[in-house]
Order: sequence, then structure tokens, then C-alpha cells
Amino acid sequence: MVVVILGVMTIAFFISRVIPANPVAAMLPPQAPPEAIEKAEKKWGLDKPIHMQYVAFITKLFQGDLGTSIRTRRPVLDDLRRTLPATIELTIVSLVFGVGIGLPLGIISAVRNGKISDHLSRIFAIMGLSMPAFWTGILLLLVFYYTLGLLPGPGQLPAYMTRPPRITGLITLDSALAGNWAAFWSGVRHLILPAFTLGWLSTAAITRIARSSMLDVMNENYIQTARMKGLRESTVLLKHGLKNALIPTITVIGLRIASLLEGAVLTETVFSWPGLGRYSTNSFLAVDFPAVVGAAMVFAFLYSFSNLIVDLIYAYLDPRIRYS
Amino acid sequence: MKKLSFVLVLSLLIFGLIGFSSFAKTPKDNLIIGMDTSIIVDLDPARSYELVTNLVIEQLYDGLVDFEGGEDAFKTIEPGLAKTWDVSDDGLTWTFHLRKGAKFHSGNEVTAEDVVYSFTRALELDFAPIWMLNQFVPSPDNIEKVDEYTVSITTNTKLPERLMAAIMGVQGIGFVVDKEVVESHATEEDPWAYDWLQRNDAGSGPFELVEWSKNERVVMKAFEGYWEGAPELNKLTMLSMPERTSQKFSLSKGDVDMAWDLLPNQVEDFRGREGFEIIEQPAWDITYLAMNIGQEPFDNVKVRKAIKYAINYEAIIDGIMDGAATPGQSFVPFGMAGYLDKIMYEQDLDKAKELLEEAGYPDGFEAQLLCQPTSPRKEIATQIQQDLRGIGISANIKQVVASQMYETYRAQEHEMIVAGWGVDYADAQSLTMPFAHCRTASDDAAVQQLAWRNMAVNPELTDLVEEANKEMNSEKRLEMFKEIQERVMDWGPFAIMFYPLNQVIIKDNVKNLKLPPNDSYLEFFDVYKTS
Repeated sequence: MVVVILGVMTIAFFISRVIPANPVAAMLPPQAPPEAIEKAEKKWGLDKPIHMQYVAFITKLFQGDLGTSIRTRRPVLDDLRRTLPATIELTIVSLVFGVGIGLPLGIISAVRNGKISDHLSRIFAIMGLSMPAFWTGILLLLVFYYTLGLLPGPGQLPAYMTRPPRITGLITLDSALAGNWAAFWSGVRHLILPAFTLGWLSTAAITRIARSSMLDVMNENYIQTARMKGLRESTVLLKHGLKNALIPTITVIGLRIASLLEGAVLTETVFSWPGLGRYSTNSFLAVDFPAVVGAAMVFAFLYSFSNLIVDLIYAYLDPRIRYS
Repeated sequence: MKKLSFVLVLSLLIFGLIGFSSFAKTPKDNLIIGMDTSIIVDLDPARSYELVTNLVIEQLYDGLVDFEGGEDAFKTIEPGLAKTWDVSDDGLTWTFHLRKGAKFHSGNEVTAEDVVYSFTRALELDFAPIWMLNQFVPSPDNIEKVDEYTVSITTNTKLPERLMAAIMGVQGIGFVVDKEVVESHATEEDPWAYDWLQRNDAGSGPFELVEWSKNERVVMKAFEGYWEGAPELNKLTMLSMPERTSQKFSLSKGDVDMAWDLLPNQVEDFRGREGFEIIEQPAWDITYLAMNIGQEPFDNVKVRKAIKYAINYEAIIDGIMDGAATPGQSFVPFGMAGYLDKIMYEQDLDKAKELLEEAGYPDGFEAQLLCQPTSPRKEIATQIQQDLRGIGISANIKQVVASQMYETYRAQEHEMIVAGWGVDYADAQSLTMPFAHCRTASDDAAVQQLAWRNMAVNPELTDLVEEANKEMNSEKRLEMFKEIQERVMDWGPFAIMFYPLNQVIIKDNVKNLKLPPNDSYLEFFDVYKTS
């Protein structure tokens, strides 16, 4: 895992530095005189050869210092700490949506294979995959916020509501911990549209894999045995069928986490969500090297970490798999 | 039964989440603005240069002098923290007499000590915008405390009053900070407490900073002890909304009172709509096409003129800008003293072809056209490409992000470029220098701005720019500015196309909002809401 993260950071480091763009030029206004640019380049160490920059970067990294963002002028670590919770909150809830909708749809599709509900649920899933997140987001805002007025608009909380004191950084959790139920409720409601937008993306993949593995499993001998034992159909489906069908599904869910992070970039922009997705996009556009590398590190970590979790869940679901 | 209760619980939950929602109107004493605030990186006035950051610190700080706000902004100079000022007989030393009783947010009184500290701090920190000040006030030694309420500032050259006021009244480096408060946060590594001031406020402006969460919101509250009296609004909130459609929805639903960044066609949706008002003002912002005189064939003035005649300015303003722009070809924008009201070029393809033939390019040529991949710049580039095809010139558009584009531009390596320029301070001198001052195109040029980047070397014109800088007679000075503009229009590397309209949409219960041509100078002091 450490090797993966270090590798990703090294690649991000070199890619961000060989592209022919000058972060300093992006940061200063077009009016800035050349002396100001030269001075800024010196300050950020951009006047040194690239291998020297890399050595300095790695040395600092092992001291727990990711450098200072050229754009925000704050330590990258602080920036990440500030933006990550909002993205994690969004990703977790959207994963709940993705699984909560995708899994039942997959099961229904499998059980009613070829019937109308099978087709409908597949259409719903494919729609989620085909529509770009920014479009889905704007569409949902148009319908549920602008036209129907059922759900709140962009942002994490209404403008006039004060944020709960920062403990975890997750708005809903923080307001619950502070006992501020008005903020909690509002926070939850603000989460629905962005999380659904993001979750819909995953629904398709989860539905598909749940459906096909469910179909496979239901033809197995032990299912027929279970039925012959006279067990109730729901027990057969959920206990014998689903548990075995879950293993490939979990793999896909794990992989989806990475895609959720990708989707977060667009979703966060549409919904004014102050998360890591927006932070990294803004950093990319400004060619803010230290921030780009820092964000790459977090993405690499989350990706490896979710894979690890998936492996552990395998072991739980299938006792034959054991890690030593 | 079980199934029924499950459905019941589920529907209760869903209704709980969405059904009982009520949309609270924004509170009467709190003005909420939906805008893209991602550009704000810190709030230290010594560093601030961007429009949105300046808009925030405009509310938090005061300078020595001020300008009248609103549409007629910058026409008259008004007292700020300095009540009066006078100039020595040699025209070099300006003495400012501070108003007594003006207070910082901390409760400390604004004194000469703070003024000296603020300018010294800005000069020592030496951030990008400092060139505006140190071109005339090169060192902290030029700033002196005379007594508790008097400061004298010596300039290295005689300045007309207007230019002096424009520099002293510029946002950011012209603002006065609370010496005692800032110094209390200074450390050995950070003697000017930059680390602290970039996230906090130490001003004497009508609003004080309550909260700034990056990419989320900036919240300010009224400063009760403001020297002009407390502002009408109790709170001012800028909500970060990078997506324009979200701004539009939120304004329509009443979750924000004002949308800052709507596109012209989105603005049109609100025209005539009950409950909303559109506030428009030609911006001090110039959109232009530039040709690098250092590259063939743009060294030929006839080629440059041919291109200026080939552009369909009308199509750009009506078609691409949706009419939300004021046509103009002078580099001093509409509404600024010294503006030359003249349109020299209208699309005339025959004339353009003729000029091209005279220049020795009857069949045209190929050249690269650089622009940013953002609207409306890329659409403008496409229109120009199409127009130039009409006279046989094939322009290859290269879209690159700002960082890359300015790198090329500053290295004088472009051929043609579509770009923009904002006004740094409220005097036409801030435009004659970048657009017309170029004695040499080499690295030791005194001013390395737009004329230099386009290698528009013209010693005669440069002399005229310098002469105008020294001219004390205000009328004569403005005439000289106009002459410079005319010559640049005729000979220079720029085809200036328009000045965009600043457009903001407010709910009609928001009153007294006056948009200045430099919208970061918008003051919320008098703004109030009727409900």
C-alpha cells in the first residue's frame, strides 16, 4: 500500500512538473510585472532543476510535510484536512444510495428475470451510468429544488445557519454531536440530491453484477436443496442466495469507491460542496504542483484502503478465504 | 401486516425528509450573495489583487482617500480616513490630515502611526500589487508621521492629484491596518504577521469579518463603531457557488438575494420578471486581440490594420456577448476620465484585402491564435478565425489554460492572442503605461507589460507617455491620453473589441445597490433590504 501511494505521488510529481505551464503565471494576475513572477518562482523553488525539486519533496514528505500550496498559500496537509471530510460524507451517503438502490434492483431483476420489472430496473441503472454527473445534478436541482421546492438547493447548510463546531468535519455528525438537531436535519436534507446524483452512477454497475451473480447462484445445487428442505422463499433468497452472490458484488462496490471520487469533482461543483473534488480541480487548473501531488496521495490512499476493506469483507462472507 | 408497517415507516421517513420542508426567506438584516469565491486565497490587503478578494476587503478596510461610489464612481475624490490633504510647493510631499475618532474593529483609534505602519508593511512584504505604490513611493522612508493625526508621503516625481488619489485609494495596498492588533500576532519568522492577517481582519471598514471558510462562505457583520455610522445591513454573506445554474436557481427560490456571475443569457431570463432587478454597468475591463510585432508578418502595420478591418465587431458583441458589452476600441475604457470616444474600425473586408495586398500578402498567410479554453474567449477566437478566413488568413486556434497562455505571452512567443486587461487603479495612467510604454523589447525594458509583450517598440510614443505622466494640467493631461490612444489604435498591436457589462441580479427588496465600473469597489454600506 505504501509503495502504491509513493508510486502514485512520484508519477503525479513528474507529470505536473513537465507540462509546459507556469503555476506562478496562473496565480498572479495578467498585470503582474516580470520581477514579481521571478521572485515568486524563486520563493516556490521552481527555479531549481527538477531532480533537486524531487529530492526536496521526498525529504519533506518523510517529515510529514506535503509542502505549501502555491494557490492557497497554506500547508497542503491543512487544505486536505479541511476539504476531505465533506467529500467523505458525500461519498459515504452516495455509496449508501448506490448500494441501497442497486442491490435490491439487482435482486429483483434476477428473481423476475425477463419480466417488466427486470427491464425497468435495468433501464434505471443504465440511465445513471449514461448521464454525466453535472447534468444529472442540474436536472435534479431543477426538478426537486427549483420546480417542486421539495429539497434544499446547493450548499451544505442554509446561508443563515451557523455551522456546528468542527469536530470530525462531517456536518451531519458534528451537528449531532453538538446536539444541534436543526442543523443535523438540514444537513441531511442538503445531502440527498448530491448524494443521489453521485450514487446513481454506481447503481448501474452494482445492479448489473448483483443481477448476474444472483442468477448464477440461484441455479446452484444448494439453492435447490434449500428449497427442497421446505425453507421459505425469502430465506432461500436472502440467506442462501444473496450471501453467496455478494462476493463479486462487493468487489464491484469497492471499485466504485474510486469512481465515486472521480464523480465527486463534478457533483461538488454543481452543488457548491466544499470538498476535495473541487479542491483538486482548482489545483489542477492552477497547476498547483504541491496540491496536485497531495490530492493524488489521498486518492491513492482511499483507493488502496477501500480495496483492503473489500478483502476483509470477503473473508467475512466466505470463510474459505483467510489472510495470514 | 409486517409489510404494511414497513411501507408506512418508509413513507413517513421520505415525507419527513422532503415533505415538511419550508424555504425560509433570507433574513431581512442579512444580505446573501451567491458567487464564485474560489479565487479568494487570502484576505491580507498587502497581497490582495483579485476582484473577488478586493470586494471582500473593500468592506473590511478603509484607505486614506476614497472615491464616490455607484455609476459615477471615481469621478470625484472623496475623503476617507484622511479628512483633508495638501501638497508642498515642489509638488512632491503630500500631507494627509486624518479624521479624529475613526476606530478600528478592535476599538483602537486610527492614527498616523497605523498609516505609516500599513504602507511600510506593504512595501516590506513586497507582494505582486506593490508596484502600483512603489513606482512613486519606493521606500518606507518616504512615509513619515508628522503628529498623531498627520502623515506626510513624499513621491519620487510630481503627481497630479487624481493620480495620487487613485494610488492612495487603491484597494489592498492603500488600506490602513490596525498596527497594535497586527503586531500582536507577529513572530520572529513572520514579522509582519502575514500568516495571521491572511485569515483575519484588522480594519476600520463598515463590516467586520466573522467567518471565512474557503469554498464555502464569507460572513461579515456590521461594525457598530464605524466612523460614518453603522451600515444598514447587519450581516453580509457571500456564499460560494461556482456553478452559475445553481446561482440562478438559488436566486429564483429566494435562498440568495443576489447572483453575481450569471451569463448574459441567464441574466435575460430575469429581465422583466417580477421580484427581480438587473443592475448593469459597463466594466473597466478590456477585451482585445493582440498581434506580436516581433513576429512576421505582424511587423507590418498594414497587416495589423487589415486584421483590425477584418473583424466583425458587431457579431462578437451581439452574437457572443449577447449584447452585454459596450463597443469600444480605446484602451482607456468607457466611463474613465481620458476615454477616447472613437471607433476607427468597422468590418470592411475589401479594405482589409487591399491592405493585405499592399503589404505583400495577397494570398494571406497562416498564423497561430492563442486563447483560453473558457467562454466567451474561445467563442471570440472562433469568430475572429472565421473573419480572418474571409481575407485569406488562416488562423490556427490554440486553446490553453491561463497558466500556459500567460507563460507564452510573457515570453513574447505568441503570434496572435485573445486576452483581457483589468484596470488597476482609477487613473488612465494605469493604462497608458501597459498599453503604450515600450522603448525596447529586450529584457531590460522599464515596463514589461502589454506593449512590451507584443514587442510594440515605439520610442516616440513612449516619450509621449512619459510626458503625459509629468503633465500637471488636468485638461492637457487628458488630451495627451487621448492622443496616445488614437496612435495606439492606428498603429499599435491591439484590436480592442469591447468592454463587457457588469451584470448582477438582485431581488427587488434589495435597495440602494450601486454598481461601480470596477465592481470590486462595490460598497454595501448603504445597501438595505425592505423585507
